[in-house]
Amino acid sequence: MDSSFENPAVYLSGPGQASIKESPLPNITDSHSVILKIAYVGVCGSDVHFWKHGGIINKVSEANPLIMGHEASGVVHSIGSAVTTLKVGDRVAIEPGRPCRRCKPCKAGRYNLCPSMKFAADPPDSHGTLRKFYEIPEDFCYVLPPDMGLDEGVLVEPTAVAVHACRLAEVKVGIDVVIFGAGTVGLLCAAVAKAMGARKVVSVDVNESRLEFARGFASTDTFLPGSGDTAGTIATQLNTAYFTKGADLVLEATGVESCIGAGIQVLKRGGTYVQVGLGKQRIQFPIVSLSEKEINMKGCFRYNAGDYDLALHLLGGGKVRVKDLITSVKVFEDVTEAWETTARGEGIKTLIRVGGV
Amino acid sequence: MYNLILLHHRQSTNSLHQNLSFILNKPFDVKFEQKPKPTLSSPHDVLVAVNYTGICGSDVHYWVEGRIGDFIVENPMVLGHESSGTVTQVGDAVKSVKVGDRVALEPGTPCRRCTPCLSGHYNLCDDMRFAATPPYDGTLTGFWSSPEDFCYKLPDHVTLQEGALVEPLAVAVHIVKQAEIKPGQTVVVMGAGPVGLLCCAVAKAYGASKIVSVDIQASRLEFAAKYAATHTFTPERVAATENAARLLKETGLVGGADAVIDASGAEPSIQTSIHVVRRGGIYVQGGMGKPDINFPIMALCTKEITCKGSFRYGSGDYKLAVEFVASGKVDVKALITGTVKFEDAEQAFKDVKEGKGIKVLIAGPNEK
Repeated sequence: MDSSFENPAVYLSGPGQASIKESPLPNITDSHSVILKIAYVGVCGSDVHFWKHGGIINKVSEANPLIMGHEASGVVHSIGSAVTTLKVGDRVAIEPGRPCRRCKPCKAGRYNLCPSMKFAADPPDSHGTLRKFYEIPEDFCYVLPPDMGLDEGVLVEPTAVAVHACRLAEVKVGIDVVIFGAGTVGLLCAAVAKAMGARKVVSVDVNESRLEFARGFASTDTFLPGSGDTAGTIATQLNTAYFTKGADLVLEATGVESCIGAGIQVLKRGGTYVQVGLGKQRIQFPIVSLSEKEINMKGCFRYNAGDYDLALHLLGGGKVRVKDLITSVKVFEDVTEAWETTARGEGIKTLIRVGGV
Repeated sequence: MYNLILLHHRQSTNSLHQNLSFILNKPFDVKFEQKPKPTLSSPHDVLVAVNYTGICGSDVHYWVEGRIGDFIVENPMVLGHESSGTVTQVGDAVKSVKVGDRVALEPGTPCRRCTPCLSGHYNLCDDMRFAATPPYDGTLTGFWSSPEDFCYKLPDHVTLQEGALVEPLAVAVHIVKQAEIKPGQTVVVMGAGPVGLLCCAVAKAYGASKIVSVDIQASRLEFAAKYAATHTFTPERVAATENAARLLKETGLVGGADAVIDASGAEPSIQTSIHVVRRGGIYVQGGMGKPDINFPIMALCTKEITCKGSFRYGSGDYKLAVEFVASGKVDVKALITGTVKFEDAEQAFKDVKEGKGIKVLIAGPNEK
C-alpha cells in the first residue's frame, strides 16, 4: 500500500475507471462509533456490476467518485467514549449498512429496509470499505473468534445473506430444499440450510465445477440442467430425481428467469420460495402455478437483526468451512484484477488484502 | 393557534409557571418545584409544552410504595407519563412535526442500539429511559423534550384531553396484538379498569365477536357493558375452575375463549383465565400485581395454551392508537371522568387510589 497517503482508498468514477487516491481520515463523530483498520475486502457480483457499468440503479460519476467495497473485516484502531463491547485490537467482521434507527422499519426490527439506509459503496456518497481506515457504529462490528482468520471474516457478510434467507424461509428440521445457483451465496445457503436441519439440499448450477465443489461443501445432491432447458423441464427432471411431491423450499440465488420459473414449478403445494438473487428487473413468471399451489413467496434483501450473530455462530467451530470458498487473494493495488477475476467467473470468492494483520 | 398565543403570553408575564413540576420525594411526600426548562440535545428532538397528563396505577404505586419491584425512587422524581402536549420548539432535522402541532407523547426513549431495539422490540430495550420510572423524570411538568419519532401528531378534531388517553390505549393495542385476535374470535378480559376497558374496545376494533368483561365491581361492569363488552361476568370467592365453568356457561363460550387477557394482575383472575381459555388458545398477561403467584401449570400444558407477557407498547402501537381515536373506532372521551388543575395533582392521586372515576386528567402547569 502506498505509504504517502494517510488513508488510501479505491475510488470508482465510471465504468472501468478506478484509482487509488487519498481519502479523508475518519474521526470518531459519534461516541458509539469505532475506527477500524480494514484488513480484507471481498468481491461480490455487485462490485463487478459497478466496475463494468458504473453502478446498478444509482451510478458513480467523475463529479462523485465512490469508494468501493462492502464485504470487509478489520481491526479496531480507536473507540468512541460510549463504546462498551469493543476494544482496540479486536478483530471484527463488518456489517456495512448504517440504518437511521428512527423510521418505522428500523423500529419494527427490519432495518435492512430503512429508506435512509447508508450502505457501503452506494452512490452518490455512501463510501465503501476499500480504504485503510473506516468508521462504523459499534453495534455493526462483530468480534471474530480466535480461530477465525481476518480473511475468513470477510465471508461473514455473505453468510449473513444466507442466514437471512434461511430465516425468512423458516427452514425447519427435515425439509427438502432446492437452491438455484452455486456461487458464494448459493453455496452458503446450502450450508446454512443444512446447519438448520434441512434433510435434502439440492444445488443447481450450469457450471459443473461449481456443482462438484457444492457436493464437497454442503449439498446432499446436485443437478446440472441441459443447456437451453426450459423452466418446466428443469422442474420435472428435479422432481423425478429427488422429490416425490416437490420440494418444501426453494432458495433462488441466481436471479435468472428460467431458474425462477423452475423454482416455482419444483415446489410442492404449499411450499415456500425465497428470492435471494438479483437479476433482471422484470421477468416472465408462472403466476397461476403460484396461486394454485398456494406458494408463499418472499423477497429477501441483505440482512438484519440477529443474522450476523447466527452467521458467526455457524462459522465458528467449523460447522461451515468458509476458508474453502476463498480462491484468490489480490493486494490492494491490484484491485481491478480482483474485480476482473470475479467477472470472468474464476474461482468462488476473491479477496483484496488492504491492511496488515 | 389560540393556545399557543396564550402560552407565549403566559410565558412572558407569568414565568413562575414555566416549568413547575410535580415531584415525589418518598411515599406520600410530594412537592411542587420549578425545574430547569429542558433544552434540545439532538437535532432530532422536539420540545413540547405538556397540556394534560393522566394517572395510571403505576404512578399511584410509586406514590404509595416509592418503588415497583427493583425500580426504587432514590432521588426526587417527577411523576406522570400519560401525556399530550403542544410542540414549542423543533430541532434542525425534525420533519414530521412543527411548532404549534398538538401531539400524543410516547414517554419511553429506547437506545436504538441493543439487540431488542434492533430486532423490533424496543419496549424491551436494555437501557430504556421511561418517564417516571426511576431514575428518569416524568411528564407532570411544564416542558418535555422528546425525539421526533416519539411524538404523534393529533388530527385537528382530536382534543388534547383525548391525546392524553393515547398512552393507555397504546398499552391495550399492544396487549391485543399479543393476543393475536382475529375477526370472529372470542375474548375474555379480566379487569374493567381503564386498560381492561380499552382492551375490550380494541378487541372490538379487531373484529372480536364476543367480548366478556370481568370485574368484582358492579359499577365497572355496568360501564363495560355500555362501552365495548358484549357480556359481563362477576366472579365469586370460589375455586378458579368453578368461576371459569360458570363464566363459560353464562356467556355461551363452548369449549372456552380463543383469547383471554388479564388486565388486573390479581391471582384469582390469572388462575381463572387459564381455565377459561380454550385448548390451543392464547393468554396474555397485561396486568401487574403480585410478582409470584400460584399458577395452574398443568392446564397450560395439557391444553397447549400459549401464554405471553405484554409490556408497555412497541413499534406501530401508538400510531394505531391515534388512528383508533381519530376514526372514532375507540371512544376515549367516555373514560375521562374528571380533570384537575396542576396544583391539585395530589388530590387526583388520592382519588385514583380510592378507585374514584375511571381516568382523571391533570392539566399542565401552564394550562388556563
